[in-house]
Amino acid sequence: MATMTLYPREERLAGSERLVFNLYLIGAVTLFALMMLIGLTMRMSQAGWLGVPPDWFYRLLSMHGAGMVGTMVMASTAIMWFFLRKYVHLHLWAFAANFTLFLLGALCIIISVFLGGYGGLWTFLYPLPSMGMGMWSPGAAALFLLGYLLIGVGELLFYLDAAAGIIKVHGNFWHALGWNWLFGGTVNPDHPKAVVASTSMIIANSLGILAGAIVLVMCLLHIFFAVDLDPLFTKVLIFWFGHMYINAAIYMGVIAIYELLPRYTHKPYPLNRVFLWGWAGTTVFVVVVFGHHLLMDYAVPHWFLVLGQITSWTSGFPVFVVTAWGGLSNIYQANMRPWKMPARLMILSLFAWVAGGFCAVVDSTMRFNLVMHNTQWVPGHFHTYLLLGVLAMILALMYHVIGERRQHLPDHGADRMMFPVYLGGALIFLFGFLEGGRASVPRRMATHLPAWQFTDKVGSIGGVLVVLAMLYFAIRITAGLLTSESDPPPATEDGRVGLSDATG
Amino acid sequence: MTACSSHRAPCIAVAVFGVLLLPPMRDWLETSMLLQMLVQIPLLIAVGWHLHGALPTRLTAALDAWNRQGIAGLILTTLAAAFWMLPRSLDAAVSDPAFEVAKFASGPLLIGLPFALSWPRMGFVVRGVFLSELIAMFFRIGWLYKASPVRLCSNYLLDDQQRSGQYMVMIGAGILLWVAIKLMWGHFGSPSGFTSSDPSR
Repeated sequence: MATMTLYPREERLAGSERLVFNLYLIGAVTLFALMMLIGLTMRMSQAGWLGVPPDWFYRLLSMHGAGMVGTMVMASTAIMWFFLRKYVHLHLWAFAANFTLFLLGALCIIISVFLGGYGGLWTFLYPLPSMGMGMWSPGAAALFLLGYLLIGVGELLFYLDAAAGIIKVHGNFWHALGWNWLFGGTVNPDHPKAVVASTSMIIANSLGILAGAIVLVMCLLHIFFAVDLDPLFTKVLIFWFGHMYINAAIYMGVIAIYELLPRYTHKPYPLNRVFLWGWAGTTVFVVVVFGHHLLMDYAVPHWFLVLGQITSWTSGFPVFVVTAWGGLSNIYQANMRPWKMPARLMILSLFAWVAGGFCAVVDSTMRFNLVMHNTQWVPGHFHTYLLLGVLAMILALMYHVIGERRQHLPDHGADRMMFPVYLGGALIFLFGFLEGGRASVPRRMATHLPAWQFTDKVGSIGGVLVVLAMLYFAIRITAGLLTSESDPPPATEDGRVGLSDATG
Repeated sequence: MTACSSHRAPCIAVAVFGVLLLPPMRDWLETSMLLQMLVQIPLLIAVGWHLHGALPTRLTAALDAWNRQGIAGLILTTLAAAFWMLPRSLDAAVSDPAFEVAKFASGPLLIGLPFALSWPRMGFVVRGVFLSELIAMFFRIGWLYKASPVRLCSNYLLDDQQRSGQYMVMIGAGILLWVAIKLMWGHFGSPSGFTSSDPSR
């Protein structure tokens, strides 16, 4: 069971571990702020408030998409590492190698976009990267794909090291997932939820990265040797890779909720059979649910579309039942006052995950998808669970960690002021997308008709607020991470460190 | 105890190598791309794998000093195997006797033997990287052979090439399934298992 002590001794970081972890978090908040500025620029351009040329718009869109997805996964990898290392032995070299390869990959993508002019979007749908039509060269497209390969290899190295650690302790994935308790036996309530969630994502995202490694190299061969590929099969592999990769960001991020929430509610959050069933479902659904990306591809076999439809409806249940309901049960009748930033952010992330998930289920329903697929509903739904869901989980961990460094819970007046700016700004920003989707405003268009621009303007105003809040968070968290560590209070009898204001 | 009973695997390997060298067998296995790529060359690699038991302990120990975590051997294996993945190399092995000799020498000695010496020394992560790339490579080459509208080897016909591609995809899927089963239900910790004795290495 996750510890109830706010800052347990085994989570304290020192030396190289602390350095690498700081690099992850500071890199993440810096990239989040930069990518948000790019996003805001595009939104204001659509609103008619800025004049971004279309070729630059698609470059910025490619950078924003690739940058945000990559950074989300990088930051949620840091969450997984931070908690999983308490239960299994993880090597720092693998964690550091992942970050190094991420930076190299990001550099390739930045050069490809800003110097090479690549604008074929983060989904690199075949054969678009090789058809720059003078806007970008084959070399720029290849560099973009190479950047993805480097980032994927780094993540795979980290997963392999994590898998080795998990297997050493638990024997194999079956036991690590707790599947030996699915149908009977006494569930060990101390079996770590972080191990269950990490194992699930190692399985799913490794398959995704493998698919990515295949299709990216084939796309490179297409660029340089004009090898013709089956466009539909290529798309299937691209979306299998892309969908699992971004899903992994969410499911690795949720480990922070499992570990931290009980420390702020002061109520135990034990593992049970429902939790194990929920994660068993998630492990399967994350792998097979991507079919809803292909609902408009009529050449796809009928059974595949039916599978995509059914799994899209059902994949939400494990999330709702296990994490959202479990989280709400843990919060119920908990004395969380005075509310601290990590607690606020965690509750917000639960709300946004469910709200964004609901919007996703709507979009993945075939009849709705016919109308809404290419509208702004789509960025609306994924921004809901990324901007207010995953980002909030990541910020919750970051605030928790800077609290540990200073040995008091972070709750400045400025934090209390910027939280509603972030929340309110994000809700306005999301309204712009979702209402735009309801009104059939198309997505991914550089130039918008005047009739579409009301929601663009609303979204831009919300975006300004979000960027302001993110700039504050970035500075606050960077300063907090770089501050020298306070002396910990005396250890309790069980060797752990507690704080009076955290334990009530 | 005779030398051959204590080294049964190397003896069988030498016998198999001899059979593979027989002209009728060689001709038959080189009549199609499928047989050369997916039967003859893998058998040559298997011969090399089983020869490692015949190496003197002193030589093995000396090689081990240069083969930390099996990485040097793995690099040698990979480079040699990559050469024989090229359609041009397969073609040359049929047309040019020098390439044929190179294939029969490099399959056991530059792929199978160093791989056998390296595999037990590899940690979980190195094995994982190797297997991931092996699976991805089977899928990529299989897809390429299947998708290419032109003959990649002048000695083999298009349908043979496409059939080889299909089989390579199936082999890639088979290895993936084996790895998945091993990770899910396998027992780790024995030197013959998927991991070395310390899976966290």
